Amino acid sequence: MATLVVLPRRKPLPLAAAAIGTVAAVLIGADPASALSLNPDAISPGIAKGNTLHTIMFVVIVLGILVVNLAIFRAVRPRHRYVEAQEVETPSRSGRVGILLSLVAVAIFVVATVYTSASRDVPESRASVEGTLEDGSLRITATGQQWLWRFSYPNGAFGYHRLVVPKGVTISLELTSSDVVHGWNVPSLTGKAQAVPGQTHRISFRADEEGTFRGWASVLSGQGYADMESVVEVVSPDEYLTYIRRLKKEIQGAQDIVEGQVEAQARRAMNQ
Amino acid sequence: MSEEDETGMEGQEEEAASTPEDAPEGEGAGTTEGEGPAETTSESSAEPPPESAGEEATVVESEEEVATVVESEDATDPSPDVGLFPETEPIPRPEVSVEGEPGPRQRWIELATSADHKDIGRILIGTAIGSLFLAAILLVLLRLQLAVPENGFLEPVTFDRLLSLYGATAIFFFVLPLFFGLFYYLVPLMIGSRGTALPRLGQVGMWLILLGGVLLYSTILYTPPEAGINPLPPLSELAFTSNNGVDAWIAGVGLATLGYILITVDLLVTIRHLRAPGMAWRRTPVLVWTAAVVSWLFAVIGPIFLAAATMLMIDRRLGGGFFTGGAGGAPLLWQHLSYIFFAGVYALTAISALGVATEVIQTFTGRRSPDRRVIFGSMVAIAVMGTLAWGQNMYTAPIPIGTKYFAMFMAIGLIVPFGLIYNSLIRAVSKADFHMRAPLRYAMGALSFGSIGLLVELSQSTIAVGTQLQQTYDAWAATHFAMIGFGLFGGLAAISYWYPKMTGRMLNEDRARKSFWLVVAGTVIAVVPLFGAGVEGQVTDAFRFAEGEGVSAYNLIATLGTLLLFLGIVLTIGNLIRSRIEEPLAPPDPWLGETLEWLALSPPPPHNFDELPDVRSEVPLTDIREVLTQMDRDRDHEARETEPVA
Repeated sequence: MATLVVLPRRKPLPLAAAAIGTVAAVLIGADPASALSLNPDAISPGIAKGNTLHTIMFVVIVLGILVVNLAIFRAVRPRHRYVEAQEVETPSRSGRVGILLSLVAVAIFVVATVYTSASRDVPESRASVEGTLEDGSLRITATGQQWLWRFSYPNGAFGYHRLVVPKGVTISLELTSSDVVHGWNVPSLTGKAQAVPGQTHRISFRADEEGTFRGWASVLSGQGYADMESVVEVVSPDEYLTYIRRLKKEIQGAQDIVEGQVEAQARRAMNQ
Repeated sequence: MSEEDETGMEGQEEEAASTPEDAPEGEGAGTTEGEGPAETTSESSAEPPPESAGEEATVVESEEEVATVVESEDATDPSPDVGLFPETEPIPRPEVSVEGEPGPRQRWIELATSADHKDIGRILIGTAIGSLFLAAILLVLLRLQLAVPENGFLEPVTFDRLLSLYGATAIFFFVLPLFFGLFYYLVPLMIGSRGTALPRLGQVGMWLILLGGVLLYSTILYTPPEAGINPLPPLSELAFTSNNGVDAWIAGVGLATLGYILITVDLLVTIRHLRAPGMAWRRTPVLVWTAAVVSWLFAVIGPIFLAAATMLMIDRRLGGGFFTGGAGGAPLLWQHLSYIFFAGVYALTAISALGVATEVIQTFTGRRSPDRRVIFGSMVAIAVMGTLAWGQNMYTAPIPIGTKYFAMFMAIGLIVPFGLIYNSLIRAVSKADFHMRAPLRYAMGALSFGSIGLLVELSQSTIAVGTQLQQTYDAWAATHFAMIGFGLFGGLAAISYWYPKMTGRMLNEDRARKSFWLVVAGTVIAVVPLFGAGVEGQVTDAFRFAEGEGVSAYNLIATLGTLLLFLGIVLTIGNLIRSRIEEPLAPPDPWLGETLEWLALSPPPPHNFDELPDVRSEVPLTDIREVLTQMDRDRDHEARETEPVA
């Protein structure tokens, strides 16, 4: 039988480097613990489910990385070997390992499926507001264009840059694009979704807290891509109604002015 | 082996030994003595056969005999067929010599017109190393722009252009030529063949790849592509990128893809038809299996990408509407086709690196893996499932949820084949005695970094998490960990392992160790902070990021780490170049390998083997060593019997 004699490690260099790196990272303000939680300030039910899954997966992958890499380090550690008898054939353990890995894979798949389908559930409205559909959700269209978003509300009003939604009401956001593919991305509310020209991509979310939530566009869309922001402002239902009515009135006013100008122009042309 | 054959070979050896050490420069020189192919080719076997190992060295019987043979050869000018038909008299042929012998052609002409698989493989590997350097420079520029928030170092359009070039260089001109070059160089040697089956096809493929690279980089003179690493239509349509950059991207990577497809065909036919006598599939080396799996994989995904690139070109220049939104076209079609390709290339890189690691570990532990069938099956599974998991790049796209679940199932299922290969490789090392040399160190580095990249990808392959983390620096970091692990370290494991075979010299061990640890440290410092930045929500491809989002520290550390990584890569490449010049000559079989390429000289002559070996087991070189030892013993015995007792 072969005898393994393990020598002490002569160079704990990787360990020292890792320790120095961690200390340096903490000193300059990086917070490794924040990696555990994807969106600590998530305020929509779907995103919260996704966060839970992320925490589970985080633990799984950290364990996986530790197990695999410690095994590699153990395998290559410096040592001496005294061979007394002839080499012993090591039996293959692939059968057992394969079954174990399949079980792990199935378990991860089941957990991921459970949380994924939960995160995709259309949340129920907790408040009601004028203009909702039969199922109580509010349909808003977001159209991406280089490099801003245009939002159309149910009463015909539309606005740019900033989406205003009522708190507690399920929003059915229909994403589309008028030029290239844009990436809608509000991490704490909706996550990422592509707006593809010629197609409608519907995502549902419900904001449970008031506030302003931002995210950067997530699909390269040209030179102004880095400035393209998705902003969602969550307000109370009353404020929401006031906002879209004011928006409608402003748009109407602007249209009236334009129409008036056009008419006046036409009249001048007729008079000449 | 007949008596005359043996001695004839010795004569050739002697000639080869008498040529200067850098004789490959003069390939094809001195072809006057014998007109036959065997005679010509033996000239270029540059190094004298070392005494330690190899069949040739041990069949030397006595200096006198050799000398006489050489003399007789000079006198009678024997025909090249002496070995095959020892009884026939050489037929006298009229020879017309106008102005003496033709001089040696210049080395670059030799190389450019050669259809020898070793020359083509070396050019491809050289291309990959050059592209590695270019990609490292581009990465440093990109990271310098992202060092501090609101940086104004690069214009947005310059950033997009560097990013597009970086992606194309890293995928099409580093990873792919590296592994296809290695396979093209090694497969004929490993299966005991004198060359590939369709050498001109491989040559055309190699030139198409080089042409593609030149086309892509010639855009630096006018407008480089600016539509991103994966140029999604409609952004890459003429309406939104009207300059020639995207056209050059399509032409460059399209030609390269066509080149890889041709090389793939050549490899598949070679593996199928030119294996040495007795080399059944079960006796074929793991790396040849790997090459077969990878070639089949690329034969499937390559044409898909080529079709997509052609469709995009038709859209741009011939008024087509495949990917235009709203005009009956489908922008998502490009995403499907291109991600099938990119997912396939990812799997291809991982499989190739694991194949290399298996060969290296088998040699350095001195034992064949008991799990060869498991490894082979797992490679096929990774190729199939890894490609079918392309949908995990499209979790944010408006596609049916069933497609996403299918992708998630395939991606999570990859745990099993990867785990099986890792299990058998790590067990093989931990149960054995070994000397830690550069190839093994690179192989273990590939396993370690690859595992980190793959496991983080596992988290992103679940739909709920992937929807959040896609297109963030978390995804970027995971891909880079896996690609530096499998692509860079896997490739370097192969290059350092077969370095003596390819160059005839050993790789400098000390410099290899130092540059390895520098690359490790650089990668860890450059990539690990980006996991944090990605979880904080920083999106990729943006030329700047805002202040006060909690990602500034991560980006600064990552940039510093990238500089370290760049230094490591430069030193690694420097070691590859310097060792070729100043290291001691390598014997044919420095590692005591088990595969047939170690039977050939280092570097191998154009015809690879003087005599095709007869393969009788999985370990042909052990068989040959046993026979040689037996012959030695017999000869000693004979000598002792006949020697007069003093």
